[in-house]
Amino acid sequence: MKASTVRRVGSRLASLFASLLIALSLAFLLGRLSGDPTATILGPLAPPEQREALRHELGLDLPLVVQYFDYLRGILTGDLGQSLQFYQSNTSMIADRLPYTLQLVAAGMGLAVCVGVPLGVLAATREGTWWDRAASTVALLGQSVPVFWFGMMLVVLFAVKLGWLPAGQSGTPKHLILPALTMSVYPMAHIARLTRASMSEALAEPYIDSARARGLGNRRVVWRHAFANAMMPILTIVVLQTGILLSGAVAVEYVYSWPGLGQLALQAIQFRDFPLVQAIVVFGALVFVLLNLVVDVLHSIVDPRVR
Amino acid sequence: MSVLLKADGLAVTARLAGGDLRLLDDVDLEIRRGQIVGVVGESGSGKTTLARCVVGLLDRNVRVEHGSVTLAGDVVVAPGVDRTDRVRGSAVGMVFQDASRSLNPLMRVRTQLAEVLRRHVRDITRAEVRRRSLEVLEQMRIADPSRVLDSYPHQLSGGLRQRVAIALAVVTRPALVIADECTTALDVTTQTKVVGLFRTLVDELGIGLLFVTHDLMLASDLCDRITVMSGGRVVEAGDAASVLDRPQQDYTRRLLAAIPSWT
Ligand SMILES: Nc1ncnc2c1ncn2[C@@H]1O[C@H](COP(=O)(O)OP(=O)(O)OP(=O)(O)O)[C@@H](O)[C@H]1O
Ligand SMILES: [Mg+2]
Repeated sequence: MKASTVRRVGSRLASLFASLLIALSLAFLLGRLSGDPTATILGPLAPPEQREALRHELGLDLPLVVQYFDYLRGILTGDLGQSLQFYQSNTSMIADRLPYTLQLVAAGMGLAVCVGVPLGVLAATREGTWWDRAASTVALLGQSVPVFWFGMMLVVLFAVKLGWLPAGQSGTPKHLILPALTMSVYPMAHIARLTRASMSEALAEPYIDSARARGLGNRRVVWRHAFANAMMPILTIVVLQTGILLSGAVAVEYVYSWPGLGQLALQAIQFRDFPLVQAIVVFGALVFVLLNLVVDVLHSIVDPRVR
Repeated sequence: MSVLLKADGLAVTARLAGGDLRLLDDVDLEIRRGQIVGVVGESGSGKTTLARCVVGLLDRNVRVEHGSVTLAGDVVVAPGVDRTDRVRGSAVGMVFQDASRSLNPLMRVRTQLAEVLRRHVRDITRAEVRRRSLEVLEQMRIADPSRVLDSYPHQLSGGLRQRVAIALAVVTRPALVIADECTTALDVTTQTKVVGLFRTLVDELGIGLLFVTHDLMLASDLCDRITVMSGGRVVEAGDAASVLDRPQQDYTRRLLAAIPSWT
């Protein structure tokens, strides 16, 4: 590895670490700013001694700096605190919900990629034709439809009217179809539009003309030459969208009563369960930083110029 | 020697919102084996359109209206006829102006050469791909061909990239090579080297070369014959020496007068 590469990787890691620290600190401060949780737990009429005892139990009577370092130490050891409403470890609750969200995100993003990418490539290779206009219109629609409304419509059509699919809950692959479909719409449209733009830029590059002039077949020129060069922004969006969905697909999980992280977050917010909200935010920040690293690694695999 | 490429009364039009625009009008051109023909003209005179027409890479709104292009006796381009996919990359190689951008930045030189060889040479073995890749880079007078084979384009100098681009066009041993302003982006020393390289290629391999340039001096150094274009028409054609020494047309005289050291 070259010295410049080491330096670049080093500074990238440092900046990711810095943003992680900022996100974690913000999550901590917001938790402390959202009011005295003992009032929420014990109710406004609880005697002061009882509240004082609870504050001591939760460690809220310690100096803020001490609390902050305890919090960071907890994160390092995988301890994200206790939920106020479930009297359970937040880490274990997140771990319980994660498989459901993972399932949903994997299915939704898989669908989004499998439809969005070919749609974008189709539009770009037939720029200005009827295909292009149709694909672009569909993508624009997909990006502007509210997830919540779309989910309801699918439920009304496929669960209530036709009775083909369950309206909510989880368990079988059949239960996954409607939520995954609902979840895929926005990223699918986003991916299609981005693929269209990135591909038509790549197709206009001189090396594409040169590849054609060397007699290479159309499919090879489009995929091996143009798509490979257009891929990086698409990969980035796919990975980052995955991150966003992983840390809480709230609307979809709500509509389908899907027992994932989004639903947990919703419950946490409704009951002002500040340690749980904080834990979910911390988890989201960790996922996001991790996925950013994934993007960097993918980038260096795809493009020799950034190695 | 036999005629390799023949353009006969070629007329090409572009369809625009405001109506049709003629890009080439009644263009005749002939190249024989072992011959270098220069196509010279100011910017917008239709040189690139002519070059791209021969390999069937015209823009989507452009089509052939009259005339034909024949390659070794077979019609490859005519109104409503496009058989260029049979010759593109195999019988005809093309080198474009901007070499740094005519190589795929994500692929090693070796992979790009192998891709072209596999496409055009049936059942070629791995060893044969390597042998011919090294051979063509040596023909390009590249000092350490195996290092260049393992490089990505961004790891090479501009001159090397240009020679790799030429290697990609000739590795399939085409009978005709078209070079469209392929030396314009290079500094004078590298330009001289590349031009010298073309001369040797033509002499060693007996190919025909269509050399497009706006540089009349360069054309006079390299070419056997020169075709002067203006506004999509051929205004003068003949032996390089006679076009330069006794230009018949005002336009050519003006092109010549634009060169400081001439007259
Ligand atoms: N697809 C197109 N649609 C409309 N006009 C076009 C198209 N392609 C080329 N032209 C026009 O045709 C004319 C000739 O273009 P061409 O690129 O062949 O010129 P050239 O001699 O190669 O010029 P240069 O020296 O600048 O490369 C120009 O006026 C150009 O604007
Ligand atoms: Mg040109």
